[in-house]
Amino acid sequence: MATEDVRYRESSQFRLWSFSHSQLAAMRENTNAKAVASISERLSSLGATVPPSSIPMDISAPTSTANTPDPEGGGGTPRLPEFLSPADEATMVTFYTAELMRAGAHAEFSDEIIATAATLFRRFYVTNSIMTYPPQEMLVVALFFGCKAEGAFPRITDFLKTFGRERPEEILAGEFLLFRGIRFSIDVKHPFRALRGAVMELRSLGDIEETRIEAAERRAKDILRFSPLITDAYFHYTPSQIMMAALSLADRSLAERLIQATFHHVNVPEISGTNSGADTPNPTTTNTKETNKSEDNKAFIIGSYVRDKVLGTIESCRDMLSKELPERKEHWANRAVYKAQVVPLKKKLNKCHDPDRWNLVELQKVRREQALSSTKKLDGSEDESAALKDDGAVFGSEAKRRKVSGNKKLEDPFGGPL
Amino acid sequence: MGASPLVAYPNDVLQQQQHQHHRIPSQQSPFRRQPSVNPPSNGTPLLPGAGAGGRSSAPHPQPPATLDNLEQMNEDEKRKYVKGRKLGEGTYANVYLGHSRSDPSVLVAIKKIKVQKEYQDGLAPDAVRELKYLMELHHPNIISLLSVFSSKDQNLNLVLEYLPLGDLEMLIRNVDSVSYGAADIKAWMGMLTRAVFFCHDNFVLHRDIKPNNLLIAADGEVKLADFGLARSFADPGHKMTSNVITRWYRPPELLFGARHYSGAVDIWSVGCVFAELIIRNAFLPGDSEVEQIALICRHIGTPTEENWPGVTLLKEYTVPSDVVPVLGKEAYMGRFGAVGSEGVDLLVKTMILDPKNRITARQMLEHRWWRTDPKPTRKEDLPRKSGGGAEVKAAADLKRRPGVVADDEGPRGAKVARKLDFGAAKK
Repeated sequence: MATEDVRYRESSQFRLWSFSHSQLAAMRENTNAKAVASISERLSSLGATVPPSSIPMDISAPTSTANTPDPEGGGGTPRLPEFLSPADEATMVTFYTAELMRAGAHAEFSDEIIATAATLFRRFYVTNSIMTYPPQEMLVVALFFGCKAEGAFPRITDFLKTFGRERPEEILAGEFLLFRGIRFSIDVKHPFRALRGAVMELRSLGDIEETRIEAAERRAKDILRFSPLITDAYFHYTPSQIMMAALSLADRSLAERLIQATFHHVNVPEISGTNSGADTPNPTTTNTKETNKSEDNKAFIIGSYVRDKVLGTIESCRDMLSKELPERKEHWANRAVYKAQVVPLKKKLNKCHDPDRWNLVELQKVRREQALSSTKKLDGSEDESAALKDDGAVFGSEAKRRKVSGNKKLEDPFGGPL
Repeated sequence: MGASPLVAYPNDVLQQQQHQHHRIPSQQSPFRRQPSVNPPSNGTPLLPGAGAGGRSSAPHPQPPATLDNLEQMNEDEKRKYVKGRKLGEGTYANVYLGHSRSDPSVLVAIKKIKVQKEYQDGLAPDAVRELKYLMELHHPNIISLLSVFSSKDQNLNLVLEYLPLGDLEMLIRNVDSVSYGAADIKAWMGMLTRAVFFCHDNFVLHRDIKPNNLLIAADGEVKLADFGLARSFADPGHKMTSNVITRWYRPPELLFGARHYSGAVDIWSVGCVFAELIIRNAFLPGDSEVEQIALICRHIGTPTEENWPGVTLLKEYTVPSDVVPVLGKEAYMGRFGAVGSEGVDLLVKTMILDPKNRITARQMLEHRWWRTDPKPTRKEDLPRKSGGGAEVKAAADLKRRPGVVADDEGPRGAKVARKLDFGAAKK
């Protein structure tokens, strides 16, 4: 029978959406760089062809000098806007996550729905840039999809009424996008039930005042409803680690008491990880289950080595949560903060967003038309050669591809010019 | 350079980026059990502008012919498979035979979820639920999801393992051409019980267990499919819908409108499948909910406050006035004795009226029946349906809208309904 740990490692949350700090940072930088590259390219090409007097698009000759006075003199990439940096994007994602939670609370959704929506929203923006898809729309989409992920299937019209919106197509156009962006993993594991379990365990110890337990539970729950969702906690920690960190913030000694009660076995000096001798039970091998080594194994698991590791992890999660305690809700809803931190970024965003993907309804329409025309082109046949032909049409030939990436303007990975 | 915030990457940096790319987890396929050995080609750099030429249908805004990160990953996933002929068409989905592009001998079933006209609220619930749970549950007795991609018209495509040998219902119904015995039933029941245990152990209720959702792999392994009605265990106090599980397999608590229930609902269905395997006919084929309750009362016993404290408080509790006492094990021996006394003992425990006392999946696995003779047949040696038809049937199962009672839909329904008339005529 699989242990809880093994089971958690099977989950999509662990397989697809858990990263080390450096991995996550690298992904976000990568996303940002790609968005900057593709939007630059697009804006440049639009800039070259849109001047009022120009004839609509002759893309086969993008460097044509026909209507452009002096492409060389213009310096190749004229009038490109200032793009959001990865740090800017992080601020925006945080701000919109706070907005999402506010909207969810306004609609009186359950904790699970709000938490799932917030998590899916943040996952989406790991591999998609804020500059590519509009966060203001995507947060509503995430809430709508969060309902579905948690098994509630509201009518879109009812859902929109709650937010005073009227156009269902805006949400529906974004839904599929979000779904794809989260790599179809819908199941999000939360720490709420873990907290209930911890509280029951604390009660069973029998010597802790009920009022104290209740106070700790209330505070920890408040923290769980906000802090892990607006930080990267879900990307780095398991639900139980997050719960313990929140409990520790609410009442540190209660959390320590739980740890103590769990890791009561301390005398396992010889198997503290460095020794890999033949008789050392290795918790990762599969054949330890029914051997008589299982006692040693248990001793290892509840011994001081693992305990200290767990404590260290909880502590680092605690640090992360402490940066966004529930009191920060007011911070993110504050007009002054909004003006100082968000408005400048929004202004930037107005100029540097992806011209093709910002309007979700339009994007969906275009994609549908493309699908339709490609189906017609293929005459309904779905055999391999036709599919390949189709791919060729989409990707362009290999030679062309190289050429394009060679000329591509990308953000310097080592930072902007001095 | 000073004027522009951008500098071009030297080529080697671009290469580095690609390498990094491969180490980034979410850029890889989320599906571990790829049948193909195709290396992920996601390292492909994004191609801004590539292919933008030639299409000038709409002057402005111009169609975004380029693919972003997301679209690229989707294309890569899609390209791993080649869609073949249609195996079946249904209201909820079409099913195609497909194979891996890199290894054409690896067959898959591609389930293309239809955009539903009558559901105006975006992605349909059954598709959402099915994907949610298939993404999480990996078990030899649960159908595996190999990949997901969308086709350009925003249809969802689920790539599932190909299960060519039909389903349990086919084996049960083909009385003339398929014969099987207690050892075979034990093997099938073992696989079903392990699947259900795994679901419950992961806090998932399947809510639509029936013989035609139990598909058979090439090696004889039974696989639980169709998670379109599944859901996670609810928190205490949270209401769930009682309108789940195909009627014949629906437990009394759901028929009485219970809004709080547990894995016991699936266990009842497992019991119905068990009984059906033995008698080779549906055990409780009710025509309507009222009829269904009547059948349960007649064949198992009337639920009362004595055998099920609290049952009369359920909102839709109504039973026929002639109260039948709960039948003992002996009453089942005549009809179900083929599986032996221990087998009947297990069957009776799956059909205990009060869900609180009904056996759990774990207790089922611990039951003595598995360890009494005969031993379960090895899966390779299990009887199977030879010849055509199996594939068509399996496809029909995959595409059926979950939760819709099969007997309301197809020719089978008509047939069975006629049969039922004989039985019901007694009343």
